[in-house]
Amino acid sequence: MIPRAEPFFLDAGPGQRFCLFQAPAGACRGALVYVHPFGDEMNKARRMAALTARALAARGIGVLQVDLYGCGDSSGDFADARWEIWLADLEAARAWLAARLGVAPGLWGLRLGGLLALDFAQRCPHPVPDIVLWQPVQQGSAYLKQFLRLLSVNEMLAQPENEQSKAASNTGALRAALLGGQALEVAGYELAPELGAAIDALDGAKLAPRAARVHWFEMATAPDRPLPPATTRLAAAWREGGCDLRLQQIVGQQFWATQEISESAELAEATCAALEAAAPIEETA
Amino acid sequence: MNARDVAVRFACEGEDLIGVLSLPERPQRRGVLVVVGGPQYRAGSHRQFTLLARGLAEQGYATLRFDYRGMGDSGGALRSFEQVDADLRAAVDQFFTLVPTLEEVVIWGLCDGASAALFYAHQDPRVSGLVLLNPWVRTAEGLAKATLKHYYRARLLEPELWKKLLSGRFAFRSAAASLLAQLRTLLARRPDASDAGREPAGAAAAPLPERMRLGLQRFGGPALFIFSGADLTAKEFLDLVADSRDWQALLKDERVAQHHLAPADHTFSRRAWRDQVTQWTADWLRTFARAD
Repeated sequence: MIPRAEPFFLDAGPGQRFCLFQAPAGACRGALVYVHPFGDEMNKARRMAALTARALAARGIGVLQVDLYGCGDSSGDFADARWEIWLADLEAARAWLAARLGVAPGLWGLRLGGLLALDFAQRCPHPVPDIVLWQPVQQGSAYLKQFLRLLSVNEMLAQPENEQSKAASNTGALRAALLGGQALEVAGYELAPELGAAIDALDGAKLAPRAARVHWFEMATAPDRPLPPATTRLAAAWREGGCDLRLQQIVGQQFWATQEISESAELAEATCAALEAAAPIEETA
Repeated sequence: MNARDVAVRFACEGEDLIGVLSLPERPQRRGVLVVVGGPQYRAGSHRQFTLLARGLAEQGYATLRFDYRGMGDSGGALRSFEQVDADLRAAVDQFFTLVPTLEEVVIWGLCDGASAALFYAHQDPRVSGLVLLNPWVRTAEGLAKATLKHYYRARLLEPELWKKLLSGRFAFRSAAASLLAQLRTLLARRPDASDAGREPAGAAAAPLPERMRLGLQRFGGPALFIFSGADLTAKEFLDLVADSRDWQALLKDERVAQHHLAPADHTFSRRAWRDQVTQWTADWLRTFARAD
């Protein structure tokens, strides 16, 4: 039997963070902090995160899902979210999980949450046994551009004749406005210039994982699809730096972006299998 | 008023449901249960429901939102909005346990959450009112009509738009395919089958819009409708009303109020629109006395 998931609010400045703790079944073999993706990708991926957390728990791995500041059910407004607050949120979650289970927690990040997990791991003074990356964003600037494109498409659909929207429909102009200090409301999210700049500066090549093992999963539309060149390049660079990286493609939908909720049992299973082989590391005080 | 958020877990037919209660210091006797629609979980698109719940709690209304089975953090298999009566009942039960001073609950639902609310409300005397936003009445035919009437007709002849869309890598091919599919659906219908209520079916299998109408009729309590101006789902519902005397009669009833937010999209994706919805909801909650 898998223990029941425990929802609670964790005190973390400012305010509190919504957390969902999935305790492991039987003896604890490891622990992971789940780092959610950005914007509505977090919502769409919620089901997959919960399903995988339960599957991991069945294999003895406890999971703490934490909603970052200004996201989900946590305190604050998204407009006030900052990268540094999110890093502090992860430390609060990591410390809670380490104290609860007595093992050093690893990290499990999806999309932009993958980059946040990597950034956190580089700064973390504690050993990080495993990092699980689900389709991690590799360049913050490319991701920001994609996010801003939501605004330009929405504006075009709403007011094709509007002069203002013509100017705003240029993603480059939007990025310049944002980085120049203008907050933007994109698809219902108010993005602060500070957070935009922090995301824009993220570079996977400079965030080589600091962890004993790294399990990187990419979703593919067909089994014979080659990995994108950028992915192979980044993986090679990380390996050259001494990273123990296992990169794997899973055939399935990009569940964080589908119109309806979709699941990938294969990804959940592959994630469990990868971590099952890993030995737990004792948390050092 | 000071309010705080409380994490909640409760059971429904052997599965755990996860929710969050926004609890004012001194809650009103009337509470609000948010029923989530579409492929969303309890926070809502761009945190719409999180912010709504906090806004209502600040005005004294305890507000509970939760994931029904198969959604978000809750257990169980994925299910349709037409199969969540037990989940809603479990949530109302839990709400009364969490807030002992509660006397009645208003259900607030967006999209197919509004449809689910209409199916459930008349079965539970603790439900005293309904707030229904952009209710989901989708039938293949209704969608085809609404798409042609309100969307493509206005957009197709604007080459400028298509140019821009293409340069922004808009999925032109799939949009065109979708337009063709809509046309086929519409053309395939017999002309005399335009009233959804005439589809041959038993009561249990009556078309969705008809079951929703019966739900509202049986409920008999106060209801507030809120419609977005820039939303095909809302347009489809309003077209349905325009074609149906029964719906028109129901919506003209003095217990039914309506608001229209012309610039808003389906999920009210701007702060100004979200705040307007919260304020309309709170104002309306103050206007009606309990019927019984």
